[in-house]
Amino acid sequence: MKPRVAFFDFSSCEGCQLEAINLTGEELLDLVSAVDIVNFREAITERDDNYDIAFIEGSITCESEIPRLQKIRNQAKILVAFGACACIGGVNCLKNHLSMDEVKEIVYGKDAKYYDTIPARPINAVVPVDYYVRGCPPQTAELLKVVKALLLGKKPDIPNHPVCVECKMADNVCVFERGMTCLGPVARAGCGAICVTSGQWCWGCRGLVDEPNTDSEKSILQKYGLTVDQAVEKFKVYNTYTEVAK
Amino acid sequence: MEKNSVLIVDDEAIVRESIRDWLKDAGYRVATAESGEEALELIEKQDFSVMVLDIRMPGKTGITVLKEVKAQRPWIKSIIITAYPSGETVGEAKKLGAIDYLIKPVAPDDLERLIRETLDSVGREPTVATKVEVKPKPPAVEKVEVKKSLVITKANFESMVEKLLPEMEVFGVKARHGKYVYDRINQAEELRLDYDVTTTPPTKYLLPARETILKFKVGDESKAQPVIDASPRAIIGVHPYDIKAIELLDEVFMTVNPDPNYIARRQNTLIIGVDCLNPSPRSFAPSMGTRLTDTGFDLLLTDIGHSYMVTVGSEKGANILAKYAQVREPTGEEITRQKVVRDEALTRYKLALDVPKEKLLRLLQDNYDDPYWESRSETCLSCGSCVMVCPTCFCFDVQDDVALSLKEGERYRRWDGCMLVDFAKVGTGENFRHDKASRFRHRIFRKGKYILERYGMVGCVGCGRCSAACLAEIASPVEAFNAIAEVARVKEAAARMLREVPLKAELYTPRPAELVRVDSLTPREKVFEFRLKDGKKLGHRPGQFVSVSVLGIGESPFGISSSPTRDGTFQVAVRKVGDVTSALHNLKQGAMVGVRGPFGNGFPLEALQGKDILVIAGGIGLFPLRSLIQYMLDRRKDFGKVMVLFGARSPAERLFLDELDAWSKNPNIEFLETVDRGDTSWKGNVGVITTLIPKVQFDSRKTMAVVVGPPVMFRFVIGELKKRDLADENIIMSLERRMKCGVGKCGHCQINGVYVCQEGPVFTLAQLRTLREAV
Repeated sequence: MKPRVAFFDFSSCEGCQLEAINLTGEELLDLVSAVDIVNFREAITERDDNYDIAFIEGSITCESEIPRLQKIRNQAKILVAFGACACIGGVNCLKNHLSMDEVKEIVYGKDAKYYDTIPARPINAVVPVDYYVRGCPPQTAELLKVVKALLLGKKPDIPNHPVCVECKMADNVCVFERGMTCLGPVARAGCGAICVTSGQWCWGCRGLVDEPNTDSEKSILQKYGLTVDQAVEKFKVYNTYTEVAK
Repeated sequence: MEKNSVLIVDDEAIVRESIRDWLKDAGYRVATAESGEEALELIEKQDFSVMVLDIRMPGKTGITVLKEVKAQRPWIKSIIITAYPSGETVGEAKKLGAIDYLIKPVAPDDLERLIRETLDSVGREPTVATKVEVKPKPPAVEKVEVKKSLVITKANFESMVEKLLPEMEVFGVKARHGKYVYDRINQAEELRLDYDVTTTPPTKYLLPARETILKFKVGDESKAQPVIDASPRAIIGVHPYDIKAIELLDEVFMTVNPDPNYIARRQNTLIIGVDCLNPSPRSFAPSMGTRLTDTGFDLLLTDIGHSYMVTVGSEKGANILAKYAQVREPTGEEITRQKVVRDEALTRYKLALDVPKEKLLRLLQDNYDDPYWESRSETCLSCGSCVMVCPTCFCFDVQDDVALSLKEGERYRRWDGCMLVDFAKVGTGENFRHDKASRFRHRIFRKGKYILERYGMVGCVGCGRCSAACLAEIASPVEAFNAIAEVARVKEAAARMLREVPLKAELYTPRPAELVRVDSLTPREKVFEFRLKDGKKLGHRPGQFVSVSVLGIGESPFGISSSPTRDGTFQVAVRKVGDVTSALHNLKQGAMVGVRGPFGNGFPLEALQGKDILVIAGGIGLFPLRSLIQYMLDRRKDFGKVMVLFGARSPAERLFLDELDAWSKNPNIEFLETVDRGDTSWKGNVGVITTLIPKVQFDSRKTMAVVVGPPVMFRFVIGELKKRDLADENIIMSLERRMKCGVGKCGHCQINGVYVCQEGPVFTLAQLRTLREAV
């Protein structure tokens, strides 16, 4: 029997699910021939709470999300964090730099008292996670790679080296040499250095490598003209939860 | 060369600028010069097809400019413009190769037409006027041969490249974001052969970042097929240091366990090199011997201005030239020019090694534990950039990828590198090079030592890419090498200051010793017992030797035959063979001799302790072994089973008869002896010593054999011991070599790099196997 797959969204822009739908026709056919998709709010109308594999998009930003996630964890044999918010907390965690009262005030104004909010966190801060599909948004190729790995019961080949490696593989001229700054030296690769290759810099959306030398990265950012605060800001965008908060 | 480039030379700005604007509008590439001097400078740096030249100018006149251009750049077509035409100047100008002249003020249309006609005539027969005047051209090339240096114009080189484009994938150096990269070439004019360095090396076309090596089917029909890419390619613009790097990769991938993927790519890749005339400020290629190369390319260009000198490096290169290019023999001037541009380039390098590169190996070896590695790697990001951009780095990771059907897939390899955290991490989570310092050191050691030891070439070609790529600014090998050289210099200076203090006059002075007893062993051999006159013990260990002097006759080395556990005296047994030994044999009790030593390492008592010991003595090999046997008997509990095998040539040549008798009765040792040839009185074993080995029982896992005898014996004994599974590390031998000084100076006893009097005379067989001269 084919494994039954469900997608769930928590606090997020739902762009990750959109990316999953962006599979080419052929890839999609291959995917549905390998698994049964039984729950995917953004793509199908059917709902079935009998599933084996759960893909979780989004981070946890309010109390009510916690029991909902725990229930999914209890049902799923395999739980996959899908996208930057689920994997590392992502941009949602930017609010963690303020008090929760301030946050509610800013967003809801006089209605703030009706809303519940907690500091944002990745889903592995609430339940154990088996696999990660990283990135903002994640790439379909990596989604398929992780699906194949979990079908085979093996560890997916997701690098633990920095984006610099993939920049060199792509023969990009270094962002720093082009007068900009970049998180590439400490950010986890696997994206093929897609942002740098298209003329941008790396924001670290896949999180940091396991043992980042953030002290050295921060001093390099300052050497290339950023203030201490600007260097920290650079990390905040995606990596508030794992890096800046600690 | 720019096909439609025009240089305008006129001292009047208005003339210069108006002509420039007309011609630009008409689609020409235009440069201007306001004097003859400036024109000649420009021509030196840049090539032009046509020069529009004023005659009357302050400083160098048009005629002077024409003369110099004719000598240096005879292919530039000149058009004279003058407000004062005279038959004389025009005639002279034409003699100097001018195509035609126009009278000022010049009409734009006339000038443009004349330039167009001139350009169209390029490549056709020269006009009569120039034909008469131009010196005969150097002879055309009859056959393009390997090793030859020829001349190819830049235009012709471009057209050659154009002809290669449909035949193969052509890669070459292009500009990108103010830097240079190797990339696919679609038009010859994209090439930038005047580059300094590329961000990544051309080796990516031989070892791609990701390469499929197998395609496979999974499951019941599980099967793997190699995937090998042998499509034809050309790489254009490879600098000599990268050519040297490719030669190193050839050594790595084409010798032991030849790599099929690499070979297929390499053999189908045409390498067109170019001399590096604008080196990167981070390069130190001259120190690494990679500034120029005679090998490793199919063709090699040197930019000599208007043209390239092209050196043919292979048959493949020769064929390409013969098929697609027009080349000619170089003039003497061009050969000189090539030398000059190369020499000038040498002066542009900013960095150099402080020590010869041959010294790196030893420097690194001696400073493995220096704090430098730790301190310098503090800011290392472990980003891998240094190894990713290195032309001599070749390590890779291997992964499988399957289709969603899970029925088929591919195995690929992709770049990996020792500076990345997980490079040496195994499945259990153990990381064998976990800290930054050990990774940093490993990379520098690979570059300066390990690669050299393994492949015979230094692992760094001095391109400077790693230091450019390193944001933490710690990757430059030349910096690390020089830092370690400095560490070594400081250490050496400190050591030298200490060494200057003590002077021991007695190194070569024998200590007086009294002969307290002499016993004859055989008619040829005696054993001498000495006591040092100062009353001190000799302080030796079994297996060491002493040098004994009979002043006036000489000094000879002798193995010590007695154990340090016995008495305050020591014994040496001596066969009478030469002057010193004869003199010793003549000495009577009470005589004085001189003694230096003990010297050498002796038997490895620490390693022997607790083991079962098999002593094999052939003839007078028993002399040094007797010391060990006595020692083991005196410290019997320190050793396991002790087995002693002794072989003499005949019963008459048996030595230490009383001791042999005692050993044979001693229950603490197993003693067997044999003679090669018996006689009527001999009742014991007859046969060479190897025949005794099968008679003893021992466990090869806990036994060490100690073998001393004549050289011919070793081979047979080793053969017999190997049959019994004794490891090379557990076979110990003492070697005889000619020794004079005993203190590692005179050089007589040297075996390859080893001084027997210092590191020997006792070696394990494992050590000896690395010494080609030993056995």
